[in-house]
Amino acid sequence: MNVPITNPFRIGLRQERVIPPQCLVIFGASGDLTHRKLIPALFELFKQRRLPSEFAVLGCARRAWTDNDFRQKMSIALADKVKEDPQAWEQFSSLLFYESVDLQNRETISKLSIRLEEIDRLCATHGNRTFYLSVSPKFYGSGCQAIAEAGLLNDPKRSRVVIEKPFGRDFSSAQSLNRLVQHYGQENQIFRIDHYLGKETVQNILVLRFANAIFEPIWNRNYISSVQITASETVGVEERAGYYETSGALRDMVQNHLTQMLAITAMEPPGHFDPEAIRNEKAKVLQAARLANELEPWKCCIRGQYGKGGTKNFPLLGYREEPGVNPNSTTETYVAMKLFIENWRWQGVPFYIRTGKRLAKRISEVVLTFREAPVHLFDSAGGTPTSNQLILRIQPDEGATFRFDVKSPGSGMRSRPVEMEFSYDESFGEPSDEGYVRLLADAMLNDTTLFTRSDEVEAAWRLYTPLLELIEDSPWQLPIYPYESRTWGPAEADNLLAKDNLLWRRP
Amino acid sequence: MSPQLTLQTPIQLPPEEIPSYLEQLWSNDKPGKTGSNTFSLLVWQPAWIEQELIRTKRLSGPIMGTHYQELIEAAKEVILEKDLPHSTAPFDKSVLTSLVSTQTSKATDKEDLRGQHIDAAISELQPRRLITLAPTLKKDHALETLVAAYCPLPEEGGNSTCGDAVVMRGDLKSLIKGLKFLKELVPSELPSWMWWNGSLDECTELLDQLAIPSRRLIIDTALGEPAHCLNFLQQKIKADQAVNDLNWLRLRTWRETLAMVFDPPHRREALNNVVQVDIDIEGDHPVQGLLLISWIANRLNWTLKESRKGEMGSYESKFEKDGQTINFHLIPLPIGNPGINPGQIVGLRMICKADDERNSVCIILGAESGECMRLEAGGMASMKLLEEVVPIQTASLEMDVARLLSTSRGTTSPLLANAAPTAAKLFKLANN
Repeated sequence: MNVPITNPFRIGLRQERVIPPQCLVIFGASGDLTHRKLIPALFELFKQRRLPSEFAVLGCARRAWTDNDFRQKMSIALADKVKEDPQAWEQFSSLLFYESVDLQNRETISKLSIRLEEIDRLCATHGNRTFYLSVSPKFYGSGCQAIAEAGLLNDPKRSRVVIEKPFGRDFSSAQSLNRLVQHYGQENQIFRIDHYLGKETVQNILVLRFANAIFEPIWNRNYISSVQITASETVGVEERAGYYETSGALRDMVQNHLTQMLAITAMEPPGHFDPEAIRNEKAKVLQAARLANELEPWKCCIRGQYGKGGTKNFPLLGYREEPGVNPNSTTETYVAMKLFIENWRWQGVPFYIRTGKRLAKRISEVVLTFREAPVHLFDSAGGTPTSNQLILRIQPDEGATFRFDVKSPGSGMRSRPVEMEFSYDESFGEPSDEGYVRLLADAMLNDTTLFTRSDEVEAAWRLYTPLLELIEDSPWQLPIYPYESRTWGPAEADNLLAKDNLLWRRP
Repeated sequence: MSPQLTLQTPIQLPPEEIPSYLEQLWSNDKPGKTGSNTFSLLVWQPAWIEQELIRTKRLSGPIMGTHYQELIEAAKEVILEKDLPHSTAPFDKSVLTSLVSTQTSKATDKEDLRGQHIDAAISELQPRRLITLAPTLKKDHALETLVAAYCPLPEEGGNSTCGDAVVMRGDLKSLIKGLKFLKELVPSELPSWMWWNGSLDECTELLDQLAIPSRRLIIDTALGEPAHCLNFLQQKIKADQAVNDLNWLRLRTWRETLAMVFDPPHRREALNNVVQVDIDIEGDHPVQGLLLISWIANRLNWTLKESRKGEMGSYESKFEKDGQTINFHLIPLPIGNPGINPGQIVGLRMICKADDERNSVCIILGAESGECMRLEAGGMASMKLLEEVVPIQTASLEMDVARLLSTSRGTTSPLLANAAPTAAKLFKLANN
């Protein structure tokens, strides 16, 4: 007999909140993100029966497509998913509409208003709208302006704007952009998306910390000696050279994804599970975070750039040889740094952060290393006593590991580390939804919990300002160290920890 | 949560004037006041037991129409006083029957606040219109209609979207007469819900008139004769009308806990070896237990083969899958202090026997640890045991209704739609 692949009792069991009737308007509908992430996420929500029957998606871009063109393009782009469930796709695609819109052109914006009213009548979407700005960051401000001036943001309960990353290039540009978008809409209408927060495992950090009485009492400087946060990729820059050259790892990964992981790991418990309560605590902890040496940032930050690597049969190009990359590029593809959080909970505990492309393994994790036992009564089988570690694996192999010492079997009394494992796969056996599924649903539900607030974004940029200024003004002080592709980054990053008698965890 | 404020003291108007009054209230020429664009909720709110407890001076009033603690305690006292079985649920029909026959000296009228107090769980959803039908015990009570507007406290920077509450009060005859005004009162452009907050076998003429196909129904199959409840549920599902059952909703922790047991993939093989399922319920109302076994049977593709009534009101059935028989027992337990909902499940045991004894497993879900121990009896403790305590639900009726209002897609849950016919068939076979 066959063992059920999915848990038969799980099917249809989730009692999720139902998204209210509405029209989701995607600006930049002809772009990559729409067919790679947004439409698949919406199709998933449709299959999970989470979309209301009064629902529509209006794709907007400059191209002169028709509704049918848009449906067809999406059907081609999602061919595999369509093949899995053609009937569902047929129903879902009837909810897709298209309007040619140029956000810089008032005439097309007024056409958009008329089209939205038509859709309201046709699909009973009640004038409730979510605007998704999947456009170049330079159009975020003017995009909000155009939508607001057309009167489409007037009702804060029935209209909202989702803005993709990057939100600004530095502290001052983020601040200006915040002022601009807040001029056209209220803060609770602005949904700044960071897809890392849509990950089940990132949200699980909150549950692990605040739903279990055993962790919170030891989640502080008295018991934790250091924290490492890693997000490593094995891929190179791929087709994103144009964007990546102007951004680099610091802006692309650290300021948003890693900083959000840092905030969730280090924040104080909120009074209740409420969007503002959580965002208040995240903002507070980011405002308390500092580079370990703000006056001499080069002492606490290492930048790197991947060079050639691979094997004879599968050679890998170095970053500067990648198509579209300046052969003399000084853009970092690797960053490692040391931070402190200056509050009662974390005073003196170093937080080490690293991210990079073409590293040895694709992994995102948070590692909390606990202080050593005050007295070593036993010999360690490994020679030196090991510290307890709690490893929260964000991806892949999602789960958590707790490392602690036990007696090594035998007549002596020697200790050795063992691991206690929790694996999403083994416990739940089913893959969790893509981050965009969760975040799109939350935005349409008007739930801001997993979206970054203006003060969080600004605090995150402010934290890295000394580095950004140094890179801008005197880049030689923060040199780029080359590293071989598919290794763990430049040796200098290891030295950053070696100075503190520590090692990066080798996952 | 947005606490609701009544903008005005409810005012009494002749029923025919209410539609124009409401239209004027939300007319666009009054800036700052906008009617919310959500749904309307029509509530049948008889509160017969509460009214009888007040009439017989066991409660001092006013009539609220909610399940507050003093009301539950007073109903429990009636169970003892009238020598009803100890496993009788406080809102069981027998409690009402015994109260109706109680004579009292001159009854005094108590304030009736039904429909005027809006529970926070429901008001948070900002219903556009709440219409409460409040039948009175007093005969010859002519129709009274009250109306009030309410608004949430304005949140910082937000617009206030408001709603209104209409109460229609009178004896049953006058309420039935007053139904002609309902059509104009229920906004046609918004989804319309009807919550029958009473027994499904009472006032069936009125129920039929209120449960028209365009309305999404909220019912409770724990209230009323089981056969009638299951028939009503099945009929509405067959007619493709959206029906939401609070008795089914209350099963969610049982379904979730059972699903949790089989989340780890390595445990799922046991589902091919199920040979027996036992469900224990409080009192003798079998519908919740039958819905649970029907859901399990549907999920595991079992076919119902036979069913009969056993001793002490129990049900004994056989299901089949791939030539293997699965025995099912539904056992009513005489629990001393039952919960407020008749027939609430207190325990579930699923026995999975594998060819290799070492792989046999017994799953026990219990509402309390004592129940787990009872189900471990009979040699089960020697098998590999997976035990879970199912959390006791503390949600109020209004919170459950709010949950349905906020999570329903406006259709019947496909799981309920699949389970209800099996439950009805099992019940019918056993009772024929």
